Amino acid sequence: MLLLFIVLPLAVAAVMPLLDRVSRRLPDALASLTVAALFAMECGYVTLVAGGEVVYWSATKYGVPAGFSLMMDGLSLLFLVTISLVAFFCSIFSSTYMAPYGKKSTFYALLLIMIAGMNGLVLTTDLFNLYVFLEVAAVAGYALVGFGQQGDNVEGAFKYLMLSVVATTSILLSLSFIYFMTGTLSLPLLASQAGAAMNAKLIAVCIALFLMGFGLKIGVVPFHGWLPDAYPAAPAPISAMLSGILGKVTGIYALLRIVFSVFGLTPDISHIFTVLGVASMLVGALLAIGQTDFRRMLAYSSISQVGYMFLGFGTGTAMGIAAGLFHLFNHAVFKSLLFLDAGSTEYATGIRDLRKLGGINNRLPITGLTTTIGVFSTAGVPPFNGFWSKLFVILALVGAQQYFVAVLAIGASILTLWYFLQMQRWAFYGKLTAGLEFIREVPFGMAFATFCLALLCLAIGLCYPWITANLIEPGVTALMGAKMPLM
Amino acid sequence: MNCCSMNILLLPIVIPLAAGVLTLLLPRALKGVKELLALVATGATLYYAWVLFQAGEDVRLLVPWTSFGIDFDLYAPHFARFILLAAAGFQILLTLYSTSFMSGKWRSKEFFAYLLITAGMTNGAVLSNNFIVLLFFWESLLVTLYGMISIGHKGAHPTATKAFIISGAADFLMFLGILLAWKISGTFTMSEIHLDSHGLGAAAFVLMSLGAMAKAGAMPFHTWIPDAALDAPLPFMAYLPAALEKLLGIYMLGRISLEFFTIHMNSPLSIFLMSLGAITIVFPVLMALVQKDYKRLLSFHAISQVGYMILGIGTGSAIGIAGGLFHMLNHAMYKCTLFLSGGSVEKQTGTTDLSKLGGLFKAMPITALCFWVAALSISGVPPFNGFVSKEMVFHGAWETGHPIFAVAAWLGAIFTFASFLKLGHSSYFGKRSLDMPTQKPRESGLAMLIPMLVIAGGCILFGVKSEIPLKHFIEPILAGKPVVEGPMEFWHHAYDINWIVGVSMGCLLIAFLLHLYGFAKSGGKAHLASEPVHNLPVAHKLYDWAEADVFDMYNWFFNKTIRGSAAAIYVLIDRGIDALYERFMIWVGQLGIGRLKEAHNGVYANYLAWVIGGFVLVAWVLVSAAAR
Repeated sequence: MLLLFIVLPLAVAAVMPLLDRVSRRLPDALASLTVAALFAMECGYVTLVAGGEVVYWSATKYGVPAGFSLMMDGLSLLFLVTISLVAFFCSIFSSTYMAPYGKKSTFYALLLIMIAGMNGLVLTTDLFNLYVFLEVAAVAGYALVGFGQQGDNVEGAFKYLMLSVVATTSILLSLSFIYFMTGTLSLPLLASQAGAAMNAKLIAVCIALFLMGFGLKIGVVPFHGWLPDAYPAAPAPISAMLSGILGKVTGIYALLRIVFSVFGLTPDISHIFTVLGVASMLVGALLAIGQTDFRRMLAYSSISQVGYMFLGFGTGTAMGIAAGLFHLFNHAVFKSLLFLDAGSTEYATGIRDLRKLGGINNRLPITGLTTTIGVFSTAGVPPFNGFWSKLFVILALVGAQQYFVAVLAIGASILTLWYFLQMQRWAFYGKLTAGLEFIREVPFGMAFATFCLALLCLAIGLCYPWITANLIEPGVTALMGAKMPLM
Repeated sequence: MNCCSMNILLLPIVIPLAAGVLTLLLPRALKGVKELLALVATGATLYYAWVLFQAGEDVRLLVPWTSFGIDFDLYAPHFARFILLAAAGFQILLTLYSTSFMSGKWRSKEFFAYLLITAGMTNGAVLSNNFIVLLFFWESLLVTLYGMISIGHKGAHPTATKAFIISGAADFLMFLGILLAWKISGTFTMSEIHLDSHGLGAAAFVLMSLGAMAKAGAMPFHTWIPDAALDAPLPFMAYLPAALEKLLGIYMLGRISLEFFTIHMNSPLSIFLMSLGAITIVFPVLMALVQKDYKRLLSFHAISQVGYMILGIGTGSAIGIAGGLFHMLNHAMYKCTLFLSGGSVEKQTGTTDLSKLGGLFKAMPITALCFWVAALSISGVPPFNGFVSKEMVFHGAWETGHPIFAVAAWLGAIFTFASFLKLGHSSYFGKRSLDMPTQKPRESGLAMLIPMLVIAGGCILFGVKSEIPLKHFIEPILAGKPVVEGPMEFWHHAYDINWIVGVSMGCLLIAFLLHLYGFAKSGGKAHLASEPVHNLPVAHKLYDWAEADVFDMYNWFFNKTIRGSAAAIYVLIDRGIDALYERFMIWVGQLGIGRLKEAHNGVYANYLAWVIGGFVLVAWVLVSAAAR
């Protein structure tokens, strides 16, 4: 029952504010359990969908289809799994971390609304519904970025809001052009009409509008301006959600779905993907080097990693798209891990400036270890998960004869390693900064979340053939059609 | 292939890895369990490596993994089985040594875990037959390298980072080479790759061989090794830079230049390898000569000796290649012993500073004996093993018709012997120094002596009976390869008197006289015996620069160039575009959006301007494409 993926989190969100009066711990438990239930349901679908099935659900009114339908194929399932995986650990982390920020029940309600919006977005078959769900997730996102905050941080949320409005406007504008040309916004209908006589120049404008709108959501260069302000401003688990999945679902999922089923991946579009990818990868990595704020560095690193995904998609081959999707999945795991670790560091020390920290590795052993694992994973060091997806991106680039881009991608991953090792040298190693002698490791819930995510980095790295076979390749098939050869 | 032979390929990888992970999970309170576990695991690995070696057949394990030709593929030709056996031998001996050396040391639990995981990953890299699997194991070693150095002491992290970055950069060269090889051959399966060494193939060869040589510690990827000698726990030095990394790196170089490509004598690639080998011999040995610390002196030799292996393999002649490979095995043995003797001295006296050591022969006779066996081996004194392999390399280098390479090798031999005379003289002979932290040093325990004795015994055995290793280990590697013309009975000539041996012995004599001169000149202080060379007019300046890291590529590249270019990019892209947009905004303002600038701060307007600029560019590209 696909509707449950949307209704369940919404229903729990609705009762959440009431629960606060019953018990303090109840909202914590319920939020995590809800996400866990979603995850369990998704796992039930994995074998079915990997076998090539597509699950449909359609609303009916007195036996007549009511124009609202949901569909789950390989791509939807990949994103659903990623959403609940990250959301689960963020929710566990929040149970302790969010305590000083205000009412946790309101926080969880917003978080669940955001999840419901994202789930709806990846399941819907209609572009207008996609837009609505995108707004649902985004509005919850604005509120969460500014949740319980003051001063500069609210400004970060506001900037995020203002640029997102530009994004949604351009998406809506493009949708109206498409509706004007075809008379429908249903994805299956649009897919069947692909190539029909449409105004080529207007289509080009539509694609450009989509690229701008979704590019803003993703934060790919040059649409990235809001991102380094918004990520550090948000509470740490929300930074993790934004970087790990919200941007990827509202941006990359929607963009891929529309480009592949409505327009098809033309050489021009893949060329633009590659250019955006190279720009993001390099600008993000180089700007990350100069950063002294842990989360701002991670924000630039996210821009850089998105570049790798775009490079994969830009090849247009099945291998490249598989690589991009796999990197997206892995990025969700290791980048949310790093954002949560940044949160743990702030929680334990109260300091955000990396240069004012020092030698905390011995005081915060779990945070130190998990950060190291996250760093290795991001930089693509085996046996962690990031190694495989970066390797596949580079192999796909070589396979598509983009040698120069492949060399740049390798170079950028050395830069990645370098800025992260510099971060570790400033904050975690060396002499313990005066005044930090009495800091203690973060409470169990937070340490548990980061530890599990670090373990996942290792587990995915070791069991990667299972992940690619059951989650990634069905996603590629969903995009490119079953007949597409994998090379 | 039967089920048994499949398992046996997995066991040398899985056993140490599993034991390593288990060690990490062990509670701290259980004393002695981690040591026992490590010994059992490395013992089992050695047993299976031996069974595999004895099996004498090329077993293979192929598990389809994922699309795109990436399969979990293990394969054990003779070369791999030999390296695996040697590696497994060092693994158990170093584990035994560490049980004593590391007892009670800081974070020793992690040390054993890294030791075991390194063993598993090394064995995996040796056995893998798919380039992607190889990269996985090969690069996984970075993690344990980083971990093992960083647990040396609380300030060891900068060195660990340096080692990690240099090795990582070298691994990326390897990766690039593999990508090229894949592009040319269309397969990742290593046993199917036989490429031409022209054009792109030559580029692939250079990149891959640089990666392999960097793993072995050749110049210019060597600068982390002397730093690690001071910062890392000592068994690490004997384990990785002295033994396993040499085996792995030279193994890969051997496969690259014998199997994936074929190096012909005096081809450009052969000259490339030999030049790199000659440089790697000469410069580090000059650095080694003037060191005044036991471990640091040894670490420069760990670099210099790689030069002989690369030079030997680069000659493209059968005797040179065989000599290079034999030298790899011999080096792993004597250098391991040397580091272990250093560890023994450090443990008993509390220092490795040569000026504070002296007269240890009486107190630590077995350590001293093992040291001298290994020192004479590395210096190429007959009848020890280093003599045989070095002579083979000299012969091979002379055969190429470029005497310069043979001269470089002899030059290296002079300074090698001179520096070991200095090291041995100043620590084991002479008067006991009053500055020694422990005034009554005793001989180390059995757990530390047994590994030294076993390997030192091996040095003698492989020297006197050099036909055993040559016939059973080295010769089958070369069998059937195009470089071999005629029968390969190298050992027949090992102790022939010829003029090349004469020159070598002359070199040893010069080294001895050099030491005596320096010793007399410095007023009887053995640790200053190298000062005459140190104080030569030009040399002194160069040495000062070298100690100040002027020749350290890592320092230049990472601490200066990248910082600079990051700043430049920041100014150009962030600030520069900022300024551009200030003007751009006037134009945007004419379109009616400019009012936003008044309503919000300038930074927001910048962001928006980027967005619009990006949109305009994308739309322009797409619309003009549609108009075509």
